[in-house]
Amino acid sequence: MFIIEKATGKKHKVIVEPVINEDYKTITKSKYFFDWKTEKKYNVYKLRRRDNDSILGLMFFIDYAEEKRIEIKLLAVSKDNRGVDKHYERIAGTLIGFACREALKHYGIEACVSLVPKTELKEHYITKYEMLDAGKQIFLEGLPLLKMLNNYEL
Amino acid sequence: MKTKKLIDKYTATELADSFVFRTKLTDKEKKESDMQLKEMRAKVQQGITPKQQLLSRIMQLKYQIEDYSNNAPYDINRSFGFFLREYLKSLNKKNKDFASDLDINETELSQILNKHRTPSEKLIIRLEIHSNKAIPAITWFRLLEKEREHQILTDNVIRKNESKHVKNRLQLSI
Repeated sequence: MFIIEKATGKKHKVIVEPVINEDYKTITKSKYFFDWKTEKKYNVYKLRRRDNDSILGLMFFIDYAEEKRIEIKLLAVSKDNRGVDKHYERIAGTLIGFACREALKHYGIEACVSLVPKTELKEHYITKYEMLDAGKQIFLEGLPLLKMLNNYEL
Repeated sequence: MKTKKLIDKYTATELADSFVFRTKLTDKEKKESDMQLKEMRAKVQQGITPKQQLLSRIMQLKYQIEDYSNNAPYDINRSFGFFLREYLKSLNKKNKDFASDLDINETELSQILNKHRTPSEKLIIRLEIHSNKAIPAITWFRLLEKEREHQILTDNVIRKNESKHVKNRLQLSI
């Protein structure tokens, strides 16, 4: 897994791991947009560079084991990594890819990763991640899910 | 910053590249949407090829080995032999044919599968080549290292035996 430093094109290896209590001291609404403290009861994951503790993105999902499906509920990259001035590329994609990895690890070929997009963003997720359209929900399963794992080197 | 302000500040592409927002569906919408997803998923499953199925099983195995090697406590049942057997099962191959694929003796393979022999470095490299790098040699190597680490931490018999060969031990204490 790697992200790309926009200014230099340099690749940096990254880790996705569970957020620990200590992290919540630095996870502020101004930097990560949502109030992540309210999601503490769920599995919240952070993405960071291997050589740096600074959190570049956050995500939480719910695992619906009976459906062999993981639903991404919330995801945000840090303020410095949004829009044209972002420092790194591939943060959100790597986090979504990580959800795919977790789903495949548990459910094999029947694994599914879904999310309920804002209507105006739906087409963008479909274009960028080859997500499949199921009306209100979009999802990755089968070949598109395998492609995500390949593209994000998981 | 409210979501509205974000929408004003960033393009839709930039937003999709930075966020998944919390979206509430009504009970009715959720029911319909779950049904639609179920139908779509069934269609996807119908189109899955045997090749994709095999790749998915091998990737699943890779992630299971990685997570066990990196994060889980040592488990005597999850040995190199256990995971190699899982690999073999995924391929639906007989021991004899798999041994031939790797150019090793069937007995050697059987001993590795049954934890009576430690696999060589060469075999680990051959496994990487066999899986077309889907499971890299380093993944198998780390799994083996976990077993070795456990062995070196807990093997008192070897300590007792080797003790006979050591003279002039340092008399260190606090």
